[in-house]
Amino acid sequence: MSSQTLLLGAAFPSPALALAPSRSRSRRLRIRAQVEPSDKSVEIMRKFSEQYARKSGTYFCMDKGVTAVVIKGLAEHKDSIGAPLCPCRHYDDKAAEVGQGFWNCPCVPMRERKECHCMLFLTPENDFAGKEQAITLEEIKEATSKL
Amino acid sequence: MAAYSITSPSPSCNLGRSIALLDSTKLSASRSLRCAPLRRSTARIRRLSALPQRQVVPRVEARKQTFSSFDELLEKSDKPVLVDFYATWCGPCQFMVPVLEEVSEKLKDKIQVVKIDTEKYVSIANRYRIEALPTFIIFRDGKPCDRFEGALPANQLIQRIESALKVTQ
Repeated sequence: MSSQTLLLGAAFPSPALALAPSRSRSRRLRIRAQVEPSDKSVEIMRKFSEQYARKSGTYFCMDKGVTAVVIKGLAEHKDSIGAPLCPCRHYDDKAAEVGQGFWNCPCVPMRERKECHCMLFLTPENDFAGKEQAITLEEIKEATSKL
Repeated sequence: MAAYSITSPSPSCNLGRSIALLDSTKLSASRSLRCAPLRRSTARIRRLSALPQRQVVPRVEARKQTFSSFDELLEKSDKPVLVDFYATWCGPCQFMVPVLEEVSEKLKDKIQVVKIDTEKYVSIANRYRIEALPTFIIFRDGKPCDRFEGALPANQLIQRIESALKVTQ
């Protein structure tokens, strides 16, 4: 049973794996492995996002929950693979992508054309763009508490 | 209305839910998990009775179970299926959670909504060459008939689904 839970969580190398203790009841066995980024990385990516939004003249989403999730996603990648790889993409080989750099935030599409499909940095004309270029750590924690 | 939610080792069709979630406790793309099969009867057929009790179900069987479960899900569905390929930390994917609930409810007789976590079901995501998230694929008769990326509001999603379903019956 314990080896089962280990394998389940190990989809990608991540030292900070938070595994729920497996309580085996006769019928229902639900194991969830939810990986949370470190507070330090979240803070780093939060500051980066605010600075980069100002620098690029872009704005956070009207729904700050989206912003919060992406910032955590960036932080999680920074923790697990060493670089803030775009969290809104599926990769064949994450390590190779980190080395290649195209999808390291800020990614090439963003740097070249201000295109952010994560909806983290939105140009003012975008339907989803809000008016803010700031987000607090509390806002991030609150918005992602139900995930 | 509802479909199947695979949430326990001895699974049963959970008719209460209109969105099916492939629970990762059951399926593994590439791990030798002791994988609980989709249906109890299938379990009996597929279990290798020659194996001693203490031995873990072999890797090959786990992988087979994974594909046949997703394919089985597509096959067994009497309606077209909208599959949402997502990831936990993808902002637009989380934005779509309530949108999909709404669409699933409004179109419950027309389409079945299924969500695939691309970090857990890596091989399914690879198989369909998923890149940007969220990616939506509409399956009819087990084959993709429409595919689009990115978050969109409920009314636009409904329009897209309905026009995809209108095309040649």
